[in-house]
Amino acid sequence: MDEALRAVADPTRRAILRLVRDHEVAAGEIASSFPTMSRPAVSQHLRVLNEAGLVDVRADGNRRLYRLRPDGLRDAASFVEELWSDRLAQLKTAAEQEEWPARTRAEHRARRAADQEEP
Amino acid sequence: MTDGDTEVVEQTLRIEAAPETVWRFWTDPERLARWWGARSELLPRPGGAFVVEMSDGPVMRGEFVELVPYERLVFTFGWEPVDGESLLEPGSTRVEVTLTPDGADTILTLRHRGLPPGETTELHRSGWAQFLPRLADAAHT
Repeated sequence: MDEALRAVADPTRRAILRLVRDHEVAAGEIASSFPTMSRPAVSQHLRVLNEAGLVDVRADGNRRLYRLRPDGLRDAASFVEELWSDRLAQLKTAAEQEEWPARTRAEHRARRAADQEEP
Repeated sequence: MTDGDTEVVEQTLRIEAAPETVWRFWTDPERLARWWGARSELLPRPGGAFVVEMSDGPVMRGEFVELVPYERLVFTFGWEPVDGESLLEPGSTRVEVTLTPDGADTILTLRHRGLPPGETTELHRSGWAQFLPRLADAAHT
């Protein structure tokens, strides 16, 4: 549904977010916190977090520094807002489909009655 | 929008169907499944179960609180805990649905009250690392 939510569904990415929560951390330092993981795999996680808008990145010489974007994560209310707007749109479609045949018949009848009244 | 210390989500929409039809989509499990979740258990009387199971696992567990046929429906809303963590504790929030006829149509208003205040920084402090996966699970419905 949402890129940010998908991004935090992964435990490694959540661990990275905790690392960069309070201060900037260089990509190399982040990678060395995950000794069992390859550098490209860590880079891929950083890319996902960046594309989801959860971290900011800036270059400092040849280092890349990452930091949590405080407004990247949405709150519970906006999540619920989105849940209801999706659901209610589907409710509207389903309820209208149920009544549609009856309404169409009623409209036909009304139109026929109007036609017959015309001179 | 806030309501005391909690957030309220409010939505209104027009449905081109009668309130009686829209009502059935909240009280009949087969019809509810056409727009929300994979399966549901609905006992439409005060204190009766309002349980919706999402296709990938998360379960919304609530109870009917108030039913005024074709006009007003109130139920509690929460997610069943997974690994001891719940996104919204069952019973902690409340959804009010009102149906108002307008010609042959229905104006539906939904208010979801009691949502935790939405400061992202609060989420960080209160262990969002555990909290957010529940959001992600719940979102894939």
